[in-house]
Amino acid sequence: MTIIARRLAGHLARGLVMILVVATISFFIVNNIPGDPMAARYEKLIEQGMSPEAAAQGVKVLYGFLPTGTLWEQYTDYMSGLVRLDLGVSVSRPGTPVLDVLGEATKWTVLPVLAGTLLSFLVGIVLGVYAAIKRTGKLGDALAISGSLLHGIPQYVLAMLLVVIFATLIPILPADGPVDILFEPGFNAGYIGSLVEHAVLPVATYALSAYGGWILAMKSSVVTVLGDDFILAAELRGMKRSIIFRYIARNAILPLFTILALSLGLLLGGAVFIEKIFNYPGLGLLLINSINDRDYALMGGAFLLITVAVIVANIVADLFYTVIDPRVRSGEEAR
Amino acid sequence: MPHPASSQAPGVRIDGLTVVYKTPAGELPAVRDVSLTLEPGTITGIVGESGSGKSTLALSLLNAVQPPGRIAAGSVEIDGLGDVVGLSGERLRKARGAHIGYVFQAAQNSLNPLKTVGKQLLDLGRSHGVDDLRGLVREARELLGRMGLDGARVLDSHQHELSGGMRQRVGIMLALVLNAHVVVLDEPTTALDMITQANILKIVREVHAERGLTTLVITHDIGVVAEVADRLAVMYGGRLVEQGPTREVLGAPRHPYTRGLIQAIPRLVGDIDEARALPGRPPTLATVPTAGCVFRERCALRMDVCETDDPAAVAHGTRIVACHAVKVREHA
Amino acid sequence: MSATLLPETTSTSAAMRRNFWRGVWRVMRRKPSRMAGVVILAGFILMAAFGPLFYPDHLPSDPDSISRPPSWEHWFGTDPQGRDVLTLVITGSRYVLLSAGVTALITVVVGTAIGLFSGFRRGRWDTVLMRITDMKLTIPSLPLLLVLATVWKFGNPLQMGLVLGLFGWGGVARAVRAQTLSLRERGFIEAARGLGLSTRHIIGKELLPSMAPYIAMNMLIAVTGAVYAQVGLFFLGVLPYESDNWGVMLNLAVFQAGAMITPNALGYLLAPLLAILLLTLGIVLVVDAMDEIFNPRLREE
Repeated sequence: MTIIARRLAGHLARGLVMILVVATISFFIVNNIPGDPMAARYEKLIEQGMSPEAAAQGVKVLYGFLPTGTLWEQYTDYMSGLVRLDLGVSVSRPGTPVLDVLGEATKWTVLPVLAGTLLSFLVGIVLGVYAAIKRTGKLGDALAISGSLLHGIPQYVLAMLLVVIFATLIPILPADGPVDILFEPGFNAGYIGSLVEHAVLPVATYALSAYGGWILAMKSSVVTVLGDDFILAAELRGMKRSIIFRYIARNAILPLFTILALSLGLLLGGAVFIEKIFNYPGLGLLLINSINDRDYALMGGAFLLITVAVIVANIVADLFYTVIDPRVRSGEEAR
Repeated sequence: MPHPASSQAPGVRIDGLTVVYKTPAGELPAVRDVSLTLEPGTITGIVGESGSGKSTLALSLLNAVQPPGRIAAGSVEIDGLGDVVGLSGERLRKARGAHIGYVFQAAQNSLNPLKTVGKQLLDLGRSHGVDDLRGLVREARELLGRMGLDGARVLDSHQHELSGGMRQRVGIMLALVLNAHVVVLDEPTTALDMITQANILKIVREVHAERGLTTLVITHDIGVVAEVADRLAVMYGGRLVEQGPTREVLGAPRHPYTRGLIQAIPRLVGDIDEARALPGRPPTLATVPTAGCVFRERCALRMDVCETDDPAAVAHGTRIVACHAVKVREHA
Repeated sequence: MSATLLPETTSTSAAMRRNFWRGVWRVMRRKPSRMAGVVILAGFILMAAFGPLFYPDHLPSDPDSISRPPSWEHWFGTDPQGRDVLTLVITGSRYVLLSAGVTALITVVVGTAIGLFSGFRRGRWDTVLMRITDMKLTIPSLPLLLVLATVWKFGNPLQMGLVLGLFGWGGVARAVRAQTLSLRERGFIEAARGLGLSTRHIIGKELLPSMAPYIAMNMLIAVTGAVYAQVGLFFLGVLPYESDNWGVMLNLAVFQAGAMITPNALGYLLAPLLAILLLTLGIVLVVDAMDEIFNPRLREE
C-alpha cells in the first residue's frame, strides 16, 4: 500500500507543477496579446462612465487579473483566481462562467472519444493478436500494413475522407453538429436516434485513427511475449492451448492498458480536428472558437482542463498498472 | 503416493535422430543421426558447447523442436508411450508433463510472471485432467518440502519473489508433480551460485532415486555430469562423438574432442598451464561441415579420410565412439 | 550467407558497408512496395525543390472558371479564385516540406543531443533533463500550439519549422537516451574508455554511428508528424493565410468552398488530402524497409 501511496504522491506533485506551468503560459499569453485588448476594454469602460475601480473589476472578470499593477501582482492575482476555481466569465457567451461552458462542452467530447477509443481498442487488440500469430503469412502482413497506414494518416484527413464518402458522395449520414435541432431534447426515441446517427462518423473517425496504433502495439507486445521462455515452458508442460493463450493475452495486454488510459487523456485535447470538422460542440471546438473569438478566459480554461485530463490519465494509468502487475505491486519495476 | 523403485522407470531409445533448421541457406542439421539409449532408472548426461545441438536434442525428446526447426528423421521410443516423433495433437500434449517432465534453466523465466506458482500448478492440473486438485496441491507441497522449501509459501509466491535456486526447485516440482518418469533437465545449475548448484545436484540425485526416474541432464559443465550422471554422452557439431559410463569416459577419453574437453578443465591442484584450451572455435549451424568429420578442423589426429567420410559410431565394449583415428588404433 | 547468421567480428568496416548496401538491396527487392516508397519520397522532394520554379509567384486566376469540377484542363478542378488546384498543390508543397524538414532536423538534433547527454552523463543532469522531457511530453502539444498561435504568427516556413521542432524533440530524446543507456549496459562505453578513447571519439565514432539508423528513422517519422501538425494548424484556421500551402487549401476548401457539401468543389479538397496520403504512404513504406534493415529481431526468415 505504501508503494501506491508514494507513487500517487509523486504523480500529484508533478501534476501540480504541470498545472502551474500551463497556467503560467496562459497568463503570459493573455498578458501579451497583440493589440492589448485589455487596455482597450479598460478605456472603453471608463468612457462609458465607470469609475476606474469598477472598470478594472470589469476587465478582471474577463481576463482573470486587474489591468493595473505590476506583472507580479497581476500574476498572483491570476493564480489566486485559479486556486479558487474561478476561471472568469466568457466573453463570447456573455455572463456565463467559464466553468459552466467547459462542463457543457466536456460532455460532448467525452462520450464519442470514449466510444471510439474503446471500440478501436477491442478490435485492434483482437486483430493484433492475429497479426502476431500469423506474422509470417500474407494476412498477418496485410493487417500490419493496414495498421501502419491508418496509424500514419492524420485524424483530420480520415475525418474529411469519411465526410466526403458518407455525407457528400453517398449522403447517408449527417456530418454537421451533434443532433438534429428538429427534435425536442430529452429522453425520446427521435432525439436519441438523432444523437446516435450524428455520432457515427465522429466515433468512426476516432476508432479508425486509433485502430492502427492498437494493432501495431498489440502485435509487437504479443511477439515479445511469444518469445518469452515461460510460454515455451508452459507448452513443454503440456498446458492446454486455451490456457497458454490466456497467459499470452494477459501478459501482452498489460502494457497496452497503460497506453489506453494515457490516450484517453490525450484525446480530450486531440479532439480538436474531429470536432471542428463535424462541428461537434466539445472541448476542442470550444478551444478553437475561443481563440477565434478572442475569448481568453475561456481559452485559458479549456487549455487548463485539457492538461488536467492528461495528468489525471497519467495517474490512473500508473495506479492501474500497480494494481494489475504483481511485480510493480511488490516494489519491483516492471521490465 | 508411494513410489516403488526403478521398476517403474521407462527406458528411452533415440535412434538415428536428425533435426534440421530452415535457414536462408537451406535446411541445416543441428542434430545429425544421433542414437542414444537411456537405460531405465539411470541418469544420462549430455555435454557439449553451446551450438553443439544438445538443447535441440533435449527438445526432441518431447517432440518440441521449435520452428524453423523440425525432426527430419529418426525415432524416440519411450516405454509406455511409443515413438514420440509420431505423436501429435492432444496425445503429444498429454504426454508432455504427464510422461516427460522438462526442467528449464534457472535463469530462464519459466513461470508466468503474473500468476502465483499455485495458480499455475492448478492450470497444469486442469490441462491434464486431474480431478483431485487438492491432492495435486498436497503432492506439490510435499515435493517442495522434500527439496527444502516452505511449500505453502512458495505456492503463494510470484516468480519475481523467488531466488534462482527456488525457481529451479519449483521447475523440478512442476516437472514431477504429474508423476512423470522421464525427466529432462536443461542446464540445471547454470547461473546459480556454487552452494545452490551443489544443493540442486543433490536434490536431482535423491529425487531421481526415490521416484524411480529416467533422467537426462543437458549441460556444458563436465563437473555437473561427473557429479550426477551414470552415463555420459559428448556432443559436437550436432553429432554424438562419444558415449559410455561416466567414470570410464572421464577417466580414459577416446575421442580427441572429449580429450580436449577434459584437458581444458583447470585443476584445483597443479599448474594452471596444464589446462589447455582447444584451439579454434566450435562450429555453428552455418559453419558445420556437411561432409566428413565435424571435428576435423580442430583435431590433432586428423587423417585424409576425415575430409570425406563421416565416422560411424562404433561400439567398443560399453563405449561408443565416432572417430576414424580411434578405429584405426583399435584395429592396429 | 553466413554473414547474416553471425556477424563476423573480424571483418573490416569497408566490407561491413558493402554488406550493408547488399542487405539494403535485398530488403528492397523482396518487397517492391518499398521501392515505391523511395520513389514517392524522392518525387515529393523534387516537387518541392523545383516545382514552384515553373510557376509565377502569383498564380494566374481565371474569373471565367471559378470552382470548376475536375476536367482535362484542370485535373483537380479550380479554386474559388479560378486557380488550378493541382498547381496550388505543387507550389504549396515547398512550404510544407521545407518547414517539415526544418522541424525534423531540429527535432532530431535537439532530441539526440539531449538524449545522448542525459544517457552519457547520467546522474543529476539526467534526472533533471528527463523530468523536463516528461513534462514536455505530457503537456498536450496541439492545444498548446493553438494557444500560442494567438500571440505568435508563423509567418514563413522556417519559423513554423522552428516552433514545431522545439515542440517535438521529447520523444526522440527519450528514445536516444534509452539507446545510449542500453549501449552502456552492454559495456560499450566502458570498453572504449578502457582503450583510452576520448569522450568526443566515443560519442562521435562509436555511439552516434551505432544509433544513426535509429535516428534516421525517427527523423522520417518526425517529418510526417510535422506535416500533419502544420497542415492541421492552417486547416483549423487559427493562423493567418500568409502563404499558399496544403493546410490553407484544406481550410478554404472546407469552410469557404463548402467542399464537404457540394461535390463540385471536391477536387479542391481531395488534391491536398491525396498529397498528404501519398507522402504518408511513401514515408511509411521507407520506414518499414529501414525497420527491417536495421532491426534484426524482425528479420526472422
